[in-house]
Amino acid sequence: MMALRATGWFLASLVVGAGLVVLWHYVVSAGFVSPVFLPPPGRAWTALVNGFTRGALAEQLLATIGRMIYGWLLASLVGVALGTLIGTSRAAIVYLGPTLEMIRPLPASAIIPVAIAFLGLTEQMAIAVIAFGALWPMLLATVHGFAAVEPQLYELSRALGLKRWEVILKIGLPSAMPDILAGMRVGLTIALILAIVAEMLASRPGLGHSVLLAARSFRSPDLYAGVILLGIVGYVSAAALAAFETRLLRWRVPH
Amino acid sequence: MSEAAPALRSGWRGAVIPVGAVVLAQLLALASPQQSDILAAPLDIFLAGAGGLFDGTIVAATGQTLIAALAGLAIGVGVGLIFGILLGLSGVLDRLMTFSIETVRPVPSAALIPVSLLVFGFGFRMEIAIVAFSTIWPVLILSRAAVAGIEHRLLEVSRVLGFGLVERVWKIIIPAALPRIFVAFRLATGIALIVAVTVEVTANPLGLGHGMMAAQQSLNPALMLALLVWLGLIGWALNAVLLWAQRTLFGPAAIAEARP
Amino acid sequence: MIALRNVTLRLGGRTIVEEITLEVGKAEFVCIVGPSGCGKTTLLRLIAGLIPPSAGRVDYQGRPVTGPRPEIAVVFQDYSKALLPWRDASGNIALALEALRVPKRERQPRIDRLLSLIGLSNDAHKFPVQLSGGMQQRLQIARCLAQDPVVLLMDEPFGALDALTRQVLQDEIQGIVTASGATVVFVTHDLEEAIYLGDRVICVRPHPGRIVEAIEVELPRPRNQLTTRESPAFLQLRRRLFDFIAESER
Repeated sequence: MMALRATGWFLASLVVGAGLVVLWHYVVSAGFVSPVFLPPPGRAWTALVNGFTRGALAEQLLATIGRMIYGWLLASLVGVALGTLIGTSRAAIVYLGPTLEMIRPLPASAIIPVAIAFLGLTEQMAIAVIAFGALWPMLLATVHGFAAVEPQLYELSRALGLKRWEVILKIGLPSAMPDILAGMRVGLTIALILAIVAEMLASRPGLGHSVLLAARSFRSPDLYAGVILLGIVGYVSAAALAAFETRLLRWRVPH
Repeated sequence: MSEAAPALRSGWRGAVIPVGAVVLAQLLALASPQQSDILAAPLDIFLAGAGGLFDGTIVAATGQTLIAALAGLAIGVGVGLIFGILLGLSGVLDRLMTFSIETVRPVPSAALIPVSLLVFGFGFRMEIAIVAFSTIWPVLILSRAAVAGIEHRLLEVSRVLGFGLVERVWKIIIPAALPRIFVAFRLATGIALIVAVTVEVTANPLGLGHGMMAAQQSLNPALMLALLVWLGLIGWALNAVLLWAQRTLFGPAAIAEARP
Repeated sequence: MIALRNVTLRLGGRTIVEEITLEVGKAEFVCIVGPSGCGKTTLLRLIAGLIPPSAGRVDYQGRPVTGPRPEIAVVFQDYSKALLPWRDASGNIALALEALRVPKRERQPRIDRLLSLIGLSNDAHKFPVQLSGGMQQRLQIARCLAQDPVVLLMDEPFGALDALTRQVLQDEIQGIVTASGATVVFVTHDLEEAIYLGDRVICVRPHPGRIVEAIEVELPRPRNQLTTRESPAFLQLRRRLFDFIAESER
C-alpha cells in the first residue's frame, strides 16, 4: 500500500519535471531567451543522441568516468589507510590533528597550479589532482570515524584481550564505516569536479574538454548535451555509491 | 569532539610537525644552490607573500574572490532558504519536486563553467552564478530538513492560536529551525569559497585562483605557494569566525550537527 | 457549548473512536478517563478541531468545528514541546496575546497578572529550560489562559509531574476555572483526579474508543485534597470507576 503511494508520488514528480522541460521549451521558442544561450530541449536531446551515434561522446564519457574512478579509488585506498593509521594512534592525532584541521577548508582546486608546476599539462597531472583532491575528505572522515568509536567498545576489546590489529579490523573499522562512506561520497563528488576541471585545463580528451570547446564555438546544443550527460554521471555515481552504502550499513538504526 | 578541540588539546605539540617541516624545507633549500621553477624555500614564500600583501596585489585578489564568493553565497542562501522552508512546510510540494531537484542537483559545478562563460563571458557575474548554483543545494536540503524536523507540538500551538502563514514562519518556524539553518550557512560558505577558487583556476581571470595560475605560468613558485598558504589561511579564518558565531549564538548543542 | 454527535474517527485502517455522542454544558468541568490507547487524546483533538471526524459532527456553540481557534485553548501533556524554547516566560505568554492582537500597552499588565496567578512572577525572564516540569506546565497553562479561552482542553496535563506538584496544580486549576467560568474537558488516566476535579466523569472503553458510562459527581465545591478525598461519596465514586477500569481491562 505504502509502496503504491510512493510510486504514485514519484510519477507525479516526474510529471512536474516534464512540465519544467515544457516550460524550458516555451521560454526558448517564445523568444524570452536567445537559443544561443539556451537551446530548445529538443535540439539538446538531438545533440546528445548524435554525439553517441555519430560523434565521440561515448569515448569522452568513458575517459572522464575512467579518470574520476581511478583517482577516486586511489584516494580511497590511501585516505582510508592513512586515516586508519592516524585515527588509531593517539600520538598521531595530537601531533597531526591541528595540521589536518587547517588543511580541511583549503579548496582542492588550489592544488592545481602546483600540480601543473610539477607535472605539466599531462594525464598524470589530472590523475594526481583528482586523487589529491578526493583524498582529504576521506582521510579526515576516517580519522573522525575512528575518534568517534564508542569508548565502551574499546574497553570491551581490552577485556576480551584482543590484539591491536583485531581491534582495528573488528571494532574500529565497522564502527567508523558510516563516516568513511560519507567521506567517500564527498570524495566522489570532488573527483568528478576535478576530473572536469583538469580536462578543461590540460585539454585532455573527455567530457570536460568537449563542453568547454562547445562553449567556445557557441555550439550550445552540444554544450547542454554534455552538461546533461555530466549531470547523469554525477547522479548515477552517487546513486551507485549510496546503494552500496545502504547494503553495507544494513545494521544501522534508521534515524 | 568539537572541531577546535584537537588544536586546544594538542597545544604546542600540534605545531611541532608543521613547524618542523617548514624548518626542514628551508634547510634543504639553503643546502641546494640551484634555482627551481617548481619549488621555493619557505623564506622566499614568506617574502613573496609579504610583498604581495604590502603592494596590495594579494589584497586586491582576495577582495575579488571574496566578493564573488559572498555575492554568490547571498543568492544561493536566499534561494535555497526560501525553497527549503517551503518544501519543509509542504509535504506535497516536496514530493512533487523530488524528481526535478534530484536531477538538477548532481550537475557538477565545474560542468557549468562553460555555460556560464557562454552566457556571461569573463568576469564577476559568471563566477557569482556558479557559486550561487552550488550553494543553493546544501542550503535547500539542510533547511528543508530543519523545517521538517520542527517540533510538531509547536506547529499545533500556532494552529490553535490562529497564526497565518507569515506569522507562523516568522515567530515559530524560523526561530526553531535557526540553529540548523546556521550550520547549513556555515557549510555553504566553505563551498562558496571552494567553488569561487575553482572557477578562477579554471577559467576566470580574477581573484586568488587566477593569481595562483598566473604565478605558476610566470614560473614564480614562491608567489604561487604563498598564495596557496594565504588561501588556506582565509578558508580557515572564515570557518573559524562562523564557528565562533555559531557557538556564541546557539551554544554547544548546535556543534553536534556540524559534522563534515 | 460543545456537542459531539455520532463522531467516528478512522485512521490508517483502524477505527480509533466510534459513535461518540457527548454534550458539554457551559462552565461544566468534564473529565474523560479510560485505559491507555482508548482514544481520550483523540477526543480532545477532535473537539479542538485539530483533526476532522471521519463521520458525525463536532459542534461548538451550535456550529460545526472546522479548525482550531484561540478560544478553545489546548493544554498539551508534553509541555516542554509546547513552549517556545527561545522565548522567556513572559515571551511565551506574550505569544498568545500577539495572536489575539491585544494592543501592545495592554500586554504587559496581562502578562504580569497571569504570571502572578500561576506563581511565576519572579521567573518572568527565565527560559523554559531553566524551569522545572511543574513550572513549565504552569507556564503553558498561563499561555492558554492568555487566550481568554471559553473552553479549556487539557490532555493529561499533570501526568508527567510528581504527586505533590500534581495536587498543588489540581487546586490551582480548580480556582482558576471557577474564577474564569471556562468550560473544561480534562483527560486523565488518574481516576481519583477525575473525580476530584470533575462535575462529570466520562468513561471510555478502547478498541474502538466508545463512551460506556457517564458518572455525575455530586461532591460539594470548593473541594479539598484531604476532606473531599476521604468523604464516603468520593470513595463510592472511586469504587465505581475502579470497577469500570477493571472490567474494560478484561
